[in-house]
Amino acid sequence: MTGRLSKSIRSTLSGIAAVALAVAVAITGTAPVMAQQTATTGRDYTPTIWVDPDGCEHWVMDDGWEGYMTPNVNRQGIPVCRRGNVCGVMNSDQLFATDSARIGPKGKARLANFFRQANALSYIIVGHTDSRASDQYNMDLSLRRANSVARVAVKNGARIADVRGYGERMPRAPNSTAAGMQQNRRVEIICIR
Amino acid sequence: MTNVKIPLLLVAVLVVAACGEKRNKTVDRGIDAKHLSQLKAGIWVDPNGCDHWIIDDGAEGYLSQRLDKFGKPVCSGVAPPNTAVGPFKKGSTVPDPI
Repeated sequence: MTGRLSKSIRSTLSGIAAVALAVAVAITGTAPVMAQQTATTGRDYTPTIWVDPDGCEHWVMDDGWEGYMTPNVNRQGIPVCRRGNVCGVMNSDQLFATDSARIGPKGKARLANFFRQANALSYIIVGHTDSRASDQYNMDLSLRRANSVARVAVKNGARIADVRGYGERMPRAPNSTAAGMQQNRRVEIICIR
Repeated sequence: MTNVKIPLLLVAVLVVAACGEKRNKTVDRGIDAKHLSQLKAGIWVDPNGCDHWIIDDGAEGYLSQRLDKFGKPVCSGVAPPNTAVGPFKKGSTVPDPI
């Protein structure tokens, strides 16, 4: 009796598992197509684009009494922008020695001059490296370098909105050539106005 | 007198309702008609200190996150949390006392 019962439970469970697997395959295999098909059955809510003062796009709709708006970001969460507000890209080779996050007096003077002239409300400082050494090491080095730049900024009266290090994860050029790697070793400064 | 007014009011409500579903969501109709790309924004600072674009366009209000090029929130410190700054009520001639 118990044997037969457990057998029937087992066969039911394996049946459920098979259905779940089939559903998972169907979802992962054809997800984009399904999304397009369901969209055609909805009511028409075609948005237009509003460009914010930073130059980035937002979806906007006016439904008579109500208004709706949301940022236009791609599927990776990166905003769609017509222009950027990166106001300075510092070549790391000119500010730091290899593997170091220390800025010499010359570099400090250059940065001080930059922050005095940029005259923004606040700044986001973002460090990047090339792809040599480990990812973890580069994440740490890029953050330390960004922090060094931020310290100079604060000393010169600038307000810092955020400091980040992206290591080798956001390359500007391919790391296959020496010139590409040099372009990737950089500290970006975003000016918020 | 009142007996006349109530049906009149009902008719008025029905006439407005009969406008039905607004087909084109990309324009603002009526008194201050315009394409929605013309909206004027200010900045609202949320309780975490991060910026959002805020637009008061008469009957409609819009709010959308301010993001940097990496998709992270911009927290500029332009104003204290729970405050708004900028010309966000300037886009419409429709009076909006609140």
